[in-house]
Amino acid sequence: MDWELLLGIGRFVLATTLLLLLTVPTAFVIIQMELKVIAGMNLRIGPNRIGPSGLFQSTIHGFKVLAKEDTVPDQADRSTFTLAPWMVYMAAAMSMLVMPFAPGAIAADFNIGIVYFFAVLGLSVVGLLVAGWASYNKYSLLGGLRSAAQMVSYEIPLTLSIVGAVVLAGTLSFSELIAWQREHGWLLIWQPIGLGIFYVASLAEINRTPFDMVEADSELVAGPFTEYSGMRFGFFFFAEYVALFIMSGILASLFFGGYLAPWPFPAQLDGFVGTLWGILWFFLKTYIFVFVAVWLRATLPRVRVDQLMGVAWKLLLPLALVNLFVTAIAVVAFDL
Amino acid sequence: MTTIDRDTRIPDPIELDRAEEERLRAAAGLGPVRTERGEYAGFDQVGIPDRPPQTEREREVYSLDEGEMLVNMGPQHPSTHGVMRLVVKVRGEIIVDIDPVLGYLHRGIEKLCENATYTTVLTYVDPMDYLSTMHNEHAPAIAFEKLYGIEPPRRAEYIRALVVELNRIFSHGLMMGFLALDMGGLTPILYAFINRDEIVDMLSAISGQRMLFNFFRVGGVNFDTNDEFLSRLGTWRSRVMKNIEMNEHMITDNEIFRARTIGMGTLTGQEAISLGVTGPNLRASGVPFDVRRAHPYSIYRELEFDVITQESGDSYARYLQRIAEIKQSIHLIDQIIDRMPHGPVQAQVPGIIRPKPGRAYAAVESPRGLYSVYSISDGGPNPYRFRMRDPSFISLQAVPKVMPGKLVADTMAVMASFDPVMGGVDK
Repeated sequence: MDWELLLGIGRFVLATTLLLLLTVPTAFVIIQMELKVIAGMNLRIGPNRIGPSGLFQSTIHGFKVLAKEDTVPDQADRSTFTLAPWMVYMAAAMSMLVMPFAPGAIAADFNIGIVYFFAVLGLSVVGLLVAGWASYNKYSLLGGLRSAAQMVSYEIPLTLSIVGAVVLAGTLSFSELIAWQREHGWLLIWQPIGLGIFYVASLAEINRTPFDMVEADSELVAGPFTEYSGMRFGFFFFAEYVALFIMSGILASLFFGGYLAPWPFPAQLDGFVGTLWGILWFFLKTYIFVFVAVWLRATLPRVRVDQLMGVAWKLLLPLALVNLFVTAIAVVAFDL
Repeated sequence: MTTIDRDTRIPDPIELDRAEEERLRAAAGLGPVRTERGEYAGFDQVGIPDRPPQTEREREVYSLDEGEMLVNMGPQHPSTHGVMRLVVKVRGEIIVDIDPVLGYLHRGIEKLCENATYTTVLTYVDPMDYLSTMHNEHAPAIAFEKLYGIEPPRRAEYIRALVVELNRIFSHGLMMGFLALDMGGLTPILYAFINRDEIVDMLSAISGQRMLFNFFRVGGVNFDTNDEFLSRLGTWRSRVMKNIEMNEHMITDNEIFRARTIGMGTLTGQEAISLGVTGPNLRASGVPFDVRRAHPYSIYRELEFDVITQESGDSYARYLQRIAEIKQSIHLIDQIIDRMPHGPVQAQVPGIIRPKPGRAYAAVESPRGLYSVYSISDGGPNPYRFRMRDPSFISLQAVPKVMPGKLVADTMAVMASFDPVMGGVDK
């Protein structure tokens, strides 16, 4: 028996289980944040009944969703209708596999982690489109089509904005990219334009305000989720917040040094302490970006669907290409 | 007479309705709309009336070309500003036609008023346009005073003008909030409600109620100003400009907001006049018509104000018009407080008013436009005919006019910029 292989499988199973379990509290925390932070910005009090200062409001919401009746529209395509929330949720959860939480705390440290990440995250659009089609509802259909158009177009600038960083660091692995940042400084300094494009495109990719076209409540009721109820709706809801967490985490890892502390430390922390230290910084940075996204939601109105596409194709894509071109020339010219 | 014994199956009322529906459809020469299981037969049939078209317009809206579909927005929809239904004909996301379906909030207020005495009519008109309650009461009060031939005391006129302008401010403020909300901005509406709450608290201090104030009386107003009202007014006045500017900073210069409102839903002055649109919507199209200036009532002849207009007539102009009018109303309030005379607030009026036979018309400038009342008396204690012209009903007609060719996403945003209130539209 190959013990190495067994150990590897065991480690993988443990890691994926932990990641799946992590999605639940993550969603709860971000929903709670959204409730409370937006309430503060709206000069409201926000939830304050369940738990100390309403701390368990989102948890209760989560369990409430479990207890709700799950209805399927009569004319809906039952099998795909059932499958769609699962697809969206799994796309979000699977992309967490390459998330670098800390040195040594990556579920699977592929050498093509970045490619894997964008490939898997893009799968969620299939789920949304399927949800929109299977619901047999016009709002859902329009929402599903919007999501397909939006996410497919924003995937291109999103991915291109990273290529500059990849060319600079010469690696597609998240841990090596972070190791490169330890030596050369955060990519924020090297790729400011890439960062800008990535941020805008990532908001669009995960359907956050101001690009929350997919579930524009004042136009399409709830987009592809209109007909969903109970835990199926809960899965969409969870997936959305998990995706926000993931995008913030990836943003922190790619441009803000990930689990690196913002200043160099005299002694290199190793082992378990180093992992904890890395996790601390990773979550701190990630939640800062989550907060910014929530803040944007409280502040900005939604852009219109055609304006959104205009931004992607006419502004972000050329900008990303120019950024890549300049970076490539610089790498060759200065032998970085 | 049928007797019901234990074995008789009592038919389900829903089943009875279905049988009736099928019978009517068969009589009209239409196929069954439901499947054998009882559900609606088709996706594309929902929204189409279950009868042959009765007008040319209906035929035009409900006949679909290749690639078009009908999307039904409302009456249960998160942002239809009340219970309104829009049947939107779309090709992809582009609007081909819109058919507003009204009447979901119809309460027969005109008829109720005809059965009420002149003094009690003023309570029925309150919930019509529930965001401009004071204006709703103002117009019938003036009309009945004309019918009865009395003048309210000077102080009553000043208090009327004061509360009416306060009402205008919170109504316009809410419009700004709802416009942003329909574009996905969450915060401005709450700021607008904070502002509204201050004014509503103030008005409840003077009238005793928070929403449907029921403050006007034939020949005056219900109460004189009191200390609480005046102190709240003073506090509010000291910080209102700051509050408005705070809201303005969030919306006016916002790139996304501007991109979604400039050039959107453009109504030219000529179109607006031919549709009969009045109020801020008309002035935003560049037509300087304000009832307070064109047909002065109450004390507006004595107050200084300009008729503000915008040029472009789009959603953004309508928004700017509202802000300008809020500031103008604050200016008017300053003048009113400055000049308010002493004296009684209610003329001598009998409990049941019986005007001489005749007719009277009174128009006021409500936050949504020209709100007017036409009342006929036959000498009895209640109006023989009582007719109200509600401005939101007219402005709503502009929505199908400006929307074709635009996107579904803008339907609600443009509708919000016209600021209709369904309670007023459906009466």
